[in-house]
Amino acid sequence: METNREDVGIAIRSAFLRRDTQQRFSLFVLVVISIFLLFVEKIETKPLNYFRSAVKDTIYRGSEIISFPARSLGGSIDLLSDHINLYTNYNNLKKENDLLKDQILTSDYLTLENTQLRKLIDEQMVSYSNLVSSRVMLDKQSPYLNSFVINSGNNKNIKNGMEVLDGKNFIGRIVDVNFFSSRVLLVSDLNSKIPVIIESSENHAILSGRGTGNPTLEYLPEDHKVKPGHKVYTSGKEGIFSPGIPIGEVIFEDNQFQVLLFSDLSQITFINVNLGNEIKNK
Amino acid sequence: MSYTIKQIRLKFFELVPIFLLFFITLNGKSVIDFKILSINVHYILIYFWVLRQPQALGYGFIFLSGIITDVIFGLPIGVSALALLTVAAVAAYVRVVTVRISLVNDWISFIPALLLANFIYFMSLYFSNYSIDYLYLFKNCVFTFIFYPILWLLFTALLNLMKD
Repeated sequence: METNREDVGIAIRSAFLRRDTQQRFSLFVLVVISIFLLFVEKIETKPLNYFRSAVKDTIYRGSEIISFPARSLGGSIDLLSDHINLYTNYNNLKKENDLLKDQILTSDYLTLENTQLRKLIDEQMVSYSNLVSSRVMLDKQSPYLNSFVINSGNNKNIKNGMEVLDGKNFIGRIVDVNFFSSRVLLVSDLNSKIPVIIESSENHAILSGRGTGNPTLEYLPEDHKVKPGHKVYTSGKEGIFSPGIPIGEVIFEDNQFQVLLFSDLSQITFINVNLGNEIKNK
Repeated sequence: MSYTIKQIRLKFFELVPIFLLFFITLNGKSVIDFKILSINVHYILIYFWVLRQPQALGYGFIFLSGIITDVIFGLPIGVSALALLTVAAVAAYVRVVTVRISLVNDWISFIPALLLANFIYFMSLYFSNYSIDYLYLFKNCVFTFIFYPILWLLFTALLNLMKD
C-alpha cells in the first residue's frame, strides 16, 4: 500500500514538476503563472491597462491576418448562396416593399401627430447624437461570450458602456477598450441585461441575453399587456443608454416572451458607436 | 541530397502540431459548433500530443495558446491557459503511468482530463462573475468525448508519418 502511494507521488512529481525532455517550462510553473494572471486581471492600474491594451491590439491584428483566408472563403460561400436564392429573395423584397409603402403613410401621420402633441404640452426634445462608425474586425463567437471586436478604441474616444448601433438599431455595448480596438458585448450574450420599454403596452422590462437564440424579456409586471408583435426600445432608465433606440419585436416562444432582433447579429460588418448624446428640454 | 529532403520533411511534420494549435487558436476555432454538436478541438489536440509525442507540443506553446484564446474570446486572461494546462497535466500523468498505448486506453483516460479541465474552466469563469450556460458546457463535454476517436485516428496517421 505504502509502495503504491509512493508510486503515485513519483508519477505526479515527474509529470508536473520535472521538465521533460525538450520542454522548456515545467507544468507546475505555468499553472502558477496562469492563476497569477487571473488575479492580475482584477487589478486596474494605468500601466497594466496600457500593457493589456497593447497585447490585445497585437493579438487582434494577428488573428485578423490569420483568419483572412477562412473569412474570404466564408464570404464566397455567402455570395454563392445569395445568387442561388436570388429569385426567392426578390419576391420577398417585393412583398416587403409593398408593406413598407403602406406603413410610410401611417408613420407620416404619427410624426405629424407627435409634433402637434409636443407643441401642445410646450415641450420639445432635441437629441444630438455623436456617432463614430467602425468596422467589425474579429467576429469569433465564443460559447461563453457573444461579442465582437471593432477597429476603434481610445483613439476615437470610445469608452466602456457606450451603446453600439447597427444602423439605427441597438445591438450591444462596449465592454473593453484598447488603443485601436474595442470589444462589443452583444444583446444576445448571457451577461447582457438591458432596460427596455415595450411599445404599445408601455411596460418596462429587462432584456436578457441567453447565449444562444433570441434574448428574453424578464421582470415584466404581473399585469403586463405585452403581446407578440409589440416593438422593444431602450428605456433609458438609470441613464445608461439613450431612450427610444429600437431593438426588436416581441415573439412568444418556449412559453416565454422573446425578442426577435431587428439586426441579424451574425451579418454585421459596420457599426456605429454612440459617443454620448445630449438631451435638452426646452 | 535525399538526406536533406528527408530532414526537411521530418522537421515539417514535427511542426504540424504547433501549427495546428496556433491555427485554431488565432482563427478562434478551438470550439467547433455545428447545430447541436459542440466539440473542443483544442482539448483533443493537446491531450493527444502531450500523451503521445510530448516533444512536439511544448507546455510553453500550450500556455501561450490559452492566453491568445482568452484575448480573442474576451475571457479573463488565464482561464483557457489554466484549462489547457490541466488537460496537458492529466495527459502527462497518464503518459507516466501507462505502458501500453491503445485508442480505448487513451479514450477512457481522456474522461478525467475533460471533466477536470471543464471544472476548472467553470470555476474560473464563475469567480470572474461570468454567466455560464451549464447545458452548453455539458453538451460540449459529451461531444468532445465522442469525437475523440476520429481525431485520434487522424493524429495517429500524422504521428506515423513523422516516425516514418
